Amino acid sequence: MAAESKLSLQNALLTLEQLQHTPSMQDGFTEQQEDDMRQMGCHLIQSAGILLKLPQVAMATAQILFQRFFYQASLRKFAVRDISMGSIFLAAKVEECPCRMRDLVNVVDYLCKTFKRLPTIEPLALYGHEFYEMKNAAVIAEMQILKKLGFNVHVQLPYGIMVNYLKVLNLTDHPTIPQRAWGYLNDGLRTNVYICYQPPTIACSVVWLAAREAGVPLPTNPPWWEVLDASLEDVENIAGHIKTLYYRSLPISTLPLRIEQVEPWLVSQGQ
Amino acid sequence: MDSKWARLSDDEDDRQRKRRKEKHERKSREASHSREGSHTPQPSLRLESGGGREESKLRMVMDARGAAGGRRGASYQAASVTTSPAATAAAATLNTAGTTTTLVPPALQPPSLSSSSPSAPLSSSSSSAAAGSTSSALYTVRRAASSSQHPVLSQCRSVENYEKLNRISEGTYGVVYRARDRETGDIVALKKLKLDQEKNGFPITSLREIYTLLLAKHPHIVNVREIVVGDTLTQIFIVMDFIEHDLKELMSEMPQPFLQSEVKTLMLQLLSATELLHENWILHRDLKTSNLLLNNRGEIKVADFGLARRYGEPQGVMTQPVVTLWYRAPELLLGSKHYTTAVDMWSIGCIFGELVNNEPLMPGRGEADQLERMFKLLGMPTETTWPGFSKLPFAHHVPKFYQPNNNLRSRFPYLTENGLDLMNRMLAFDPAKRITAEEALHHPYFSEGPAPKHPSMFPTWPSKGERTGKRATSPSAPVAHHGQGDDDELGAGGGLFNVASQESTGFRLRV
Repeated sequence: MAAESKLSLQNALLTLEQLQHTPSMQDGFTEQQEDDMRQMGCHLIQSAGILLKLPQVAMATAQILFQRFFYQASLRKFAVRDISMGSIFLAAKVEECPCRMRDLVNVVDYLCKTFKRLPTIEPLALYGHEFYEMKNAAVIAEMQILKKLGFNVHVQLPYGIMVNYLKVLNLTDHPTIPQRAWGYLNDGLRTNVYICYQPPTIACSVVWLAAREAGVPLPTNPPWWEVLDASLEDVENIAGHIKTLYYRSLPISTLPLRIEQVEPWLVSQGQ
Repeated sequence: MDSKWARLSDDEDDRQRKRRKEKHERKSREASHSREGSHTPQPSLRLESGGGREESKLRMVMDARGAAGGRRGASYQAASVTTSPAATAAAATLNTAGTTTTLVPPALQPPSLSSSSPSAPLSSSSSSAAAGSTSSALYTVRRAASSSQHPVLSQCRSVENYEKLNRISEGTYGVVYRARDRETGDIVALKKLKLDQEKNGFPITSLREIYTLLLAKHPHIVNVREIVVGDTLTQIFIVMDFIEHDLKELMSEMPQPFLQSEVKTLMLQLLSATELLHENWILHRDLKTSNLLLNNRGEIKVADFGLARRYGEPQGVMTQPVVTLWYRAPELLLGSKHYTTAVDMWSIGCIFGELVNNEPLMPGRGEADQLERMFKLLGMPTETTWPGFSKLPFAHHVPKFYQPNNNLRSRFPYLTENGLDLMNRMLAFDPAKRITAEEALHHPYFSEGPAPKHPSMFPTWPSKGERTGKRATSPSAPVAHHGQGDDDELGAGGGLFNVASQESTGFRLRV
């Protein structure tokens, strides 16, 4: 089954079974807990990408790889910090903008300390034990991602498609819509829409959402999204997913970043 | 507008979440959700303004949309949608819509659903008509049917699924085994990646190889079945179709060269594969006869994408020492940092010559010798034949001799005028003037007699892969900076007369 279904230009999507019974949920995580962990990982990746001056495509690819990975593996077995590092490292290679391991480790270490509200003045020792430990973790995480994803690291992104849609709808010169839609694409990376829908549908949805919020009417007879081959249900569903992000602030300082922090955290959550 | 989000209270959160999941489960994955007939408008009941207390946010979104649409419907402006005739038609009908109506083609409404579901008016898409069991059942069925359209996430299988038969060869990048699929009995080639001393994680070169091979699907590009892993993380195997011969080894044992009709078939196949790669912004960067596999049905398969990579516009700086010396284009030898698909075309020109004469066209012994052979065969380039030539980094190192004549004819006395013209265009010094794969496919050489031989008429030869043995020796591509994450920034070191890079410029015999 693997051979022929794997090789395609299209993004790999989840099956219903994979979506309903994620490895983490089978491992005792609640849906909320898993979502929080995913969001934190994506937040870590996006922030690290900005500090590393990676292009947005690399950060987006990294986040999608990260999301995909945790539909194949449990959060109990792999630490968010390590897999985030591995995703960035791998995505930077896939997008032909490799980043240096040392920079990556330093940036991720800095961010982890910030998340935990620890002092960040002290950088990692140049050849210290901690540096090597993190470096090894990143290399192993990269291999694990490749292995768990069957080397299918191809990611199609909706950014270009979205720009085309904006052009088609004459929205490119609008003061807020393009930026807002772009922002929704970035934020949407923290949800699972990128592994449930193909990029054109996502592009439709963010344009729809941004246009709604700007109060700009778009053709509805027939609806423009149908002309662009998306169904209203999908468009609304994606928009809803992205919007839910803004209704909950992530308890980032309490979430476990390293594998040894996971068990105590789960116990404390159970109380 | 914002109020619709503000209406979400905390206790709705959970229900919303539940709803969200339901939605997810029912969402349609069919991009091509057939919508013929959606442009033959058939207004259906869409509006329930001020609709009842809907629990889910999504429903509220829809309500708000409906209400707003109802008020604003008349003032909708026809946006200039110009993508397709359908879109234009859509725009044209906009102004006539007094109220918002969502068009649901009757054909799309599953009869059982539209009649049974009370909430049908609220939905615009057939699949979301009802949350009842009928719809989810229907949905599951449809998903099952459509799931084959999308790749799904799945892990690497184990190498234990294959039974190793024998070792075929060992190249710069790893060992190749012949193996049998335990399930289907198919004979495959297993290429083991060398990942021994990787300091920088998985080598970007191998990543590119796998990536490009997975993306480039073509009848004349070797088919990768999957990637499998061994017991440890460092054992990675690429599973490919097993192909009986490679052209290099085959030609070394052929008593006479290929017939013209055979050369044409092989060249057409090679060019069509290259065209696909170039169309998809992939450079092969190591085309040569030993990387062209030939099966017993007369089909060429381009293989070994160890140096392949994607490129873009505008071009970044790329690694300098690429392509096996004998097939390396002059702009590479002269140190150009920006090169294009034309480097592959030069290699194809060299392969063309090799196929016709059954001997390598320019078997140089080093970079300087390679350039000299080029100039002797094709004449010295000048600023007029190759604008910008003298500005290339190593141009002033070029051996000082003046040989203006193109001597290709003397090497190929029996080739037709058209054949010679094609070869000359492939071996044009100026990369901008070099023929592209697409143009080459339409070259008159392929339409004049003798016609290309049908692949099924090709002779067959006993396979070498089935016995263990050494391969014919030929130089390998320069060793890429394996394990250096950013090998492409290291190109500056490699160069024609650079002592430091001498070791990477010479021969490397295959074991």
